[in-house]
Amino acid sequence: MPSLSDSPPSVPPPVPVETHPNRAVGIKPPRQQRTLPDPTRLAPEDAYYSPTLVRTRTGPASYDETIRGLNGSTGTAASVAALRPPHAVPVRKLRGTSRRRRRKGAWKKLLWVKQSYPDNYTDTETFLDHLQRNPRVRPYDFWPLVADSTVIVQHVCSVAIFVCCFVGIVQGRVNPVSIVCWGSVGTAMGWILWDSWVFREHGENRVAERAPEGDDGSSSSSTASSVMNPSTTRLNDQKDSQVHGLGLTMSHGETEPGQRSSNPDRRSSNSGLGDSCLQDAASFGSMNGAPSGSALPLPLYAAPMISRLSSRNRQRLSTVKSAFLIYCALLGLSPILKSLTKSTASDSIWAMSCWLLITNIFSFDYGSGKGAGATKFPASLSTNAAVMASTVLASRLPSTTHVFSLMLFSIEVFGLFPIFRRQLRSISWTGHVCLTLALVIAAGGAVGFTLRGGLTAAVVGSMLGSILTALAMGGCSWWLISLQKYKNVVTGPWDPARPIIRRHWD
Amino acid sequence: MPYNIAMVSDFFFPQPGGIESHIYQLSTKLIDRGHKVIIITHAYKGRTGVRYLTNGLKVYHVPFLVIYRESTMPTVFSFFPIFRNIVIREQIQIVHGHASLSSFCHEAILHARTMGLRTVFTDHSLFGFADAGSILTNKLLKFTLSDVDHVICVSHTCKENTVLRASLDPLMVSVIPNAVVAENFRPLEQGEPARSIAPNDIITIVVISRLFYNKGTDLLIATIPRILSSHPNVRFIIAGSGPKAIDLEQMLERNVLQDKVEMLGPVRHEEVRDVMVRGHIYLHPSLTEAFGTVLVEAASCGLYVVCTRVGGIPEVLPQHMTTFAKPEEDDLVIATSKAIAALRSNKVRTDRFHDQVKMMYSWTDVAQRTERVYKGIQGDISPEEFYGYYPGQGWEASGDRVRSFALIDRLKRYYGCGVWAGKLFCLCVVIDVLIYVFLEMWFPRVNIDIARSWPKKLKQKELADTSRNGPHRIESAS
Repeated sequence: MPSLSDSPPSVPPPVPVETHPNRAVGIKPPRQQRTLPDPTRLAPEDAYYSPTLVRTRTGPASYDETIRGLNGSTGTAASVAALRPPHAVPVRKLRGTSRRRRRKGAWKKLLWVKQSYPDNYTDTETFLDHLQRNPRVRPYDFWPLVADSTVIVQHVCSVAIFVCCFVGIVQGRVNPVSIVCWGSVGTAMGWILWDSWVFREHGENRVAERAPEGDDGSSSSSTASSVMNPSTTRLNDQKDSQVHGLGLTMSHGETEPGQRSSNPDRRSSNSGLGDSCLQDAASFGSMNGAPSGSALPLPLYAAPMISRLSSRNRQRLSTVKSAFLIYCALLGLSPILKSLTKSTASDSIWAMSCWLLITNIFSFDYGSGKGAGATKFPASLSTNAAVMASTVLASRLPSTTHVFSLMLFSIEVFGLFPIFRRQLRSISWTGHVCLTLALVIAAGGAVGFTLRGGLTAAVVGSMLGSILTALAMGGCSWWLISLQKYKNVVTGPWDPARPIIRRHWD
Repeated sequence: MPYNIAMVSDFFFPQPGGIESHIYQLSTKLIDRGHKVIIITHAYKGRTGVRYLTNGLKVYHVPFLVIYRESTMPTVFSFFPIFRNIVIREQIQIVHGHASLSSFCHEAILHARTMGLRTVFTDHSLFGFADAGSILTNKLLKFTLSDVDHVICVSHTCKENTVLRASLDPLMVSVIPNAVVAENFRPLEQGEPARSIAPNDIITIVVISRLFYNKGTDLLIATIPRILSSHPNVRFIIAGSGPKAIDLEQMLERNVLQDKVEMLGPVRHEEVRDVMVRGHIYLHPSLTEAFGTVLVEAASCGLYVVCTRVGGIPEVLPQHMTTFAKPEEDDLVIATSKAIAALRSNKVRTDRFHDQVKMMYSWTDVAQRTERVYKGIQGDISPEEFYGYYPGQGWEASGDRVRSFALIDRLKRYYGCGVWAGKLFCLCVVIDVLIYVFLEMWFPRVNIDIARSWPKKLKQKELADTSRNGPHRIESAS
């Protein structure tokens, strides 16, 4: 034991890459005597001492600390001995193993051999051998974390703005028609911007697609689209039929915009008016390749002679058409929506809409669209919750115009705006930050105006809101980082293995 | 000396399964060794009250509310009165609980400790540490196991898992594997030399498993077409049912493999052998497995085993009976191809497997080793011998492994379970003790009748021991 502390660890402890499923067959080769326990692995006594976090990447500093912890624990064993058994295991691990080994014939971690050891024998060499602690831990940095939190801030702010607008409408301070007009103007501008981005992207996509034409079809096109349009790869992961779809892209590459053909021709029957509003919001997204989980409602014309430009125009035309459809449907539905939950008490309405909006915030897909299936909830859950909330709220409004305005506004805020935000974020970071700032200021101002009324209140509100938001972002990020030291993920051979499957037979 | 043992678990016959047959086989073998064993489980549909099984094994089916997959509602205390009654009636000395998902077993261990009985717990399954369900189960397990006398695990991986989950002293955990009744899993023609496989003979691969995600059905679905396309003279037989069956059938239809893959649907445990002997290779693509009894059964039927290297599987069978693969599609295909090649070259002596497996695993052996655990906790083996004695290595067999029944010692053990959980557990234990005192006052022991034991064949057993032929006869009879 005394020789322990003065023998310096010459090599930093190896990160155990060997996992149980890959471990060497049969009897392990006799290892050189392990004088120092590997700090990245748990020793049996860690099961009953509160574990100190040992990051897999830390070097000798924490290593010494572990050793000291070991020494200390054996030293102060008397105090612990009342509660816990003595530390037979670490001591034997350090000294006695090899001697005993030679005397008795090696113990094997096998069940089918009859061994001369008792059943409760614990082999210190192999016990918890394959345990790994925090194998995939990724330390967070402060500023990236703050930057990532802007996405959440954006969404919370847009929800706040929506709520303030509703309060304004109910209290008669704001004209609903003006709100919906401004909202529609913003949506139209956003759509034009978005359309131009997508158009530009198509051009780049086609250039990138043409280059590696000789290669294996599916892989090259998927890499190309993963560079240009991250969301298609996400779709790729989700639906196994996508490989096929991308192959189609290659063959019809001259005539088809890549993204449209990446959605196989699964036309959903677009029946039902209430359905169609959501459907359109989704279609806006799926043209973008956003993971709205819905099929493309546009028909897939595969006529090869139509030029690209006209196909884009047709797409635009159909978007306008569906927007018009939604508009009309909402107009028709407004009287029904107005009286739908009229008989419900206001208290229930407030409580319900609160819960629905909270559901919306918590189940919203904050991912960038990159990476495979990040969210557990379907993206439609949050949109549906928000639309439901506005439906419920609409019954408290005095006239059909009010209801229509609120519903249209909610579709714009909850259905279309997130798609625009996601696209903006992937295209320009500055734009994203600017939008966040604008949203924070607007939300703060709206909250101030709603609470007190008047311009000064709005200014004070927006200032306070911005400061509070900044503090919250910083504070939460710092908090998350400081919580990381409690992270203690233990993995080992008992965890269900993750099967690795190539989907080739589709 | 013979003990009176109560096996407690939610899972017992008429429900089929691995834990159920484990309890039954272990109990009958313990009875053969002269102990008295009863089983306490909850009432199944059409099965209430007391039943006697073969060999005088008495089963108490206690009426109780079943909530999920035949597990009872965890109501910490409500099981106590009837449990106390049964224990006193049967003069139980050792309470042996099975399966960590069984709340019956956990409650029984808690009450048994309150009543001053020795307890053993057998863990049959592996749990992770990540998801919410596992965290809850692990906390409950810690509660029960912080005052258990000994724990038995079915494999070394299972032992590591249990030690971590319940913060146990590793020396208090024994590894005693499952076993198979080798007589029920004979190969087709026994004793004859193996039929050699001609290069173009059909090789049949058998898969018997429930078709669930964690049984690796996705791997199976991905590998079958690849194996069949590279080996034309291979056929598959798949038995079992489950939610993944539809995916499997879709794969068969898409690749038009219906004539090469036979789907049998669910088979009863008695029929498993008849399915197994139709094949040459047993494929087991499971993603997690504590022991894998079915592998032993397949090897006992003379099948060459291809399996994934997960959980406790690598410990179960020797090298010459198995080919291991990573839980990856490519590796599984390679391993299966290797196994087919090995069989075609007639290198594998599958005809010897049955006798070898018979030597490795038997319930008599399991019962013997379990009996040693009972002796150890009852003090019939000295603690030094039971827990090992390593002079000069820093520790001696201490008094803490021999768990004392004093309430303050018990509370100390429970208190260490966690900041909040520890206090909660202590509260539960104190209430449990109070209930016990109350029961002793209102339903005194003297008013409870003592049940008569099943007449033992002790004379025969003793005779058999002296005549040296007897043990075989008794074992084969049971």
